[in-house]
Amino acid sequence: MRDPDVRDPDVAPTVFTPDALASRERARRFETGLSRAGLGLMPRLGRRASDVLLARLLRLLADRHPRAFEALREMADARVLIEPVDAPVALLMRVGPDLSLHAVPRGANGVGGGAVGGLGEAGVADAVVRGPYARLLDLLEGRIDGDALFFRRELTISGDTALILALRNTLDGEEEMDLVADAASIAGPLARVLPVLRRNAGPVLDRIEAARRLLPPPLRRGIERVEARLAGVLPGNSPETGA
Amino acid sequence: MDNFELICPAGTPAALRAAVDAGADAVYLGFRDETNARNFPGLNFTRQDVADAVDYAHARRVEVYIAINTYPQAGNLGPWQKAVDDAARLKVDAVIMADPGLLAYAAKHHPDLRLHLSVQASAANVEAIRLYRDAFGVRRVVLPRVLTVPEIAKLNAEIDIETEVFVFGGLCPMAEGRCSLSSYATGLSPNKQGVCSPANHVRYEQRGGALASTLGGFTINVFGEGEQAGYPTLCKGRFVATGAGEGSGPAYLFEEPTSLNAMDLLPELKAAGVRALKIEGRQRGKAYIAAVVRAYREALETFAAGRPVPHIDLQAMVEGGTQTTGAYTRAWR
Ligand code: SF4
Repeated sequence: MRDPDVRDPDVAPTVFTPDALASRERARRFETGLSRAGLGLMPRLGRRASDVLLARLLRLLADRHPRAFEALREMADARVLIEPVDAPVALLMRVGPDLSLHAVPRGANGVGGGAVGGLGEAGVADAVVRGPYARLLDLLEGRIDGDALFFRRELTISGDTALILALRNTLDGEEEMDLVADAASIAGPLARVLPVLRRNAGPVLDRIEAARRLLPPPLRRGIERVEARLAGVLPGNSPETGA
Repeated sequence: MDNFELICPAGTPAALRAAVDAGADAVYLGFRDETNARNFPGLNFTRQDVADAVDYAHARRVEVYIAINTYPQAGNLGPWQKAVDDAARLKVDAVIMADPGLLAYAAKHHPDLRLHLSVQASAANVEAIRLYRDAFGVRRVVLPRVLTVPEIAKLNAEIDIETEVFVFGGLCPMAEGRCSLSSYATGLSPNKQGVCSPANHVRYEQRGGALASTLGGFTINVFGEGEQAGYPTLCKGRFVATGAGEGSGPAYLFEEPTSLNAMDLLPELKAAGVRALKIEGRQRGKAYIAAVVRAYREALETFAAGRPVPHIDLQAMVEGGTQTTGAYTRAWR
C-alpha cells in the first residue's frame, strides 16, 4: 500500500489560489498570443531565413528531448501539416531521417483547407492536424490530452491517422515541453526578456484588465480589434472562412 | 479500513511519472509490441524504459504491473514468452495475462512472479476464477465490465482471490477478449494484435460541418456539427437496422460514445469486497493521466476518511461528452 507521506520528494506541492490561477491563465493567454504573432512574422522573413530559424529551433528541441527526437527520426519519411486555424502560418513537419520543420503561409482559405495535400511548393502532406493555435500549442507541449480535444471537436485530423497518433504519442511521451521559451531562446534578445515577462505578465495583465473595464465600450472594442490584428487574426481570415 | 488500491495506466514514461506523482498505488503498462492490448503507434515501453519506470516507481513505493494480455499467435509463442521472461527479469510487481498457455508458462518458469488475470480473459464466474487460481496460482482477477455491483459482491463472497474493477475510462461494451468486430472490418483485433480499430485503418473526413469516421473503408459514424465525437470503434458506430421502418435514420446499436465513471459507487464497491480500482487509458496523454489519477486519489482519501465522496468534474476528459456507470448499475440486465 502506498504511504501518503511518501510522495515524490522532488516535487513540492504547488498550491494556487483561484486568483493566482486566473492570473496564470491570463499570462498563458498572453504568451500564446505573443508566440502566435511571432509565427505570423515568419513569412515576412522569407523562406530561407524562416527555415534557418526553424532548423535552429528543431536542433535545440532535439538536444533537450533526445528520446522523442530519436523516435521521430526513426519513423518512416512522412509530412504532417500542423495548421492553426487562427494564425496566418501553418507548420509542416517532416518526420523520418530527414526531420525538418517549415513555415507555410495559409491563404485566405487555409493551406490545405483541412484536406490532405494542396500545399503548393511545400509539397503534399500525408496528414493534417487543424485547430485553434492555443490548443495546438497546449497539445505540442503536452499540457492537454489529444483525445479529449478530439472528442470535443476542437481538433480535426485528416489523412494518415496512424502517423498523427505516432507523432502525438511520441511528443506526449516527453516531459512537458516549453516551446514558447525554446522559440524565444533562438530569437536572441527575447530569451532574456521572457522570464521577466512571465513573472510579471499575470499581475500586469490583471491591472490592464481592471483599467480596461473602466473604459467606455466603443474604446474597449477598438482596443480589442487592434489586439486581434496584432495576434494575426486579421478580418477575413477567421476560422470559418479558413474551413 | 483498508483503502482501495488505485491502478493507473501509462503509455509512455512521461505518463508513468505523471501517474506516480498524481497518487497511483500501481501503474500498468505494456511493451512496445503486439503482446499487449494497446499496441498503438508511438506508444509503450522499451525494455530499458521499463527498467527506468520500475526504478522511478519503486523509489516512491509505487508498484509496476506489465500487461501481456493478448493471445499468442499459433506457432509463434516467442515474443510472448520473452515478454514474460523480461517482465520477471525487470522485477515488475505483477504481470497481467489472459492466455492459459502463457499463464502456465509463467507459473512454471517464474514461480515468484505475481500473476493477475487480465480483463481480456473475461472470467466472470466463480468456477472460471477458481480454475485460474488452482491451475496457475493467479492472485487477482480483473473483472470484465459486464457485471453489476450485486453480482460482484456475490462473486467476492465465493472466491478467495482479490478482485480489481475498472472505474474510469473507455468502455468495451462486449465481453472482453471475445469481441471480433474490429477483425471483421480490418482483419486485426485487440485480442491477437493488441489493437481494436487500428489507426492505419481509420480515416476522418470533414463533410461540411460534420465529421465522418471510417474504419476499413466503412463509414461507422457521422458526428453532426457541434456533436461530441467518440473513438472509431464498431461497437460505438451508428447503424441502420435491416427492416427498420421508413425514415428511421442511423442509430447506436450497441453503445453510445461514452466513458465509464464509477466514482459515485465507491461505497458500494467497497461493500462488494473489491480490492483495487483501475483507470483505463494507456493510449491517453499525460494530461489525462494526471487529471484523472489526481481526482481519484482525492476521492479515495476522502472516502477512506469517512467523508462523503466529493463530486470531481472529469467531464472534459470523457468520450462523447457523456459518462456512465456502465453495467455496474445497468437496470435492463
Ligand atoms: S469493438 Fe468495442 S467492444 Fe469490441 S473490442 Fe473494440 S472497443 Fe471493445
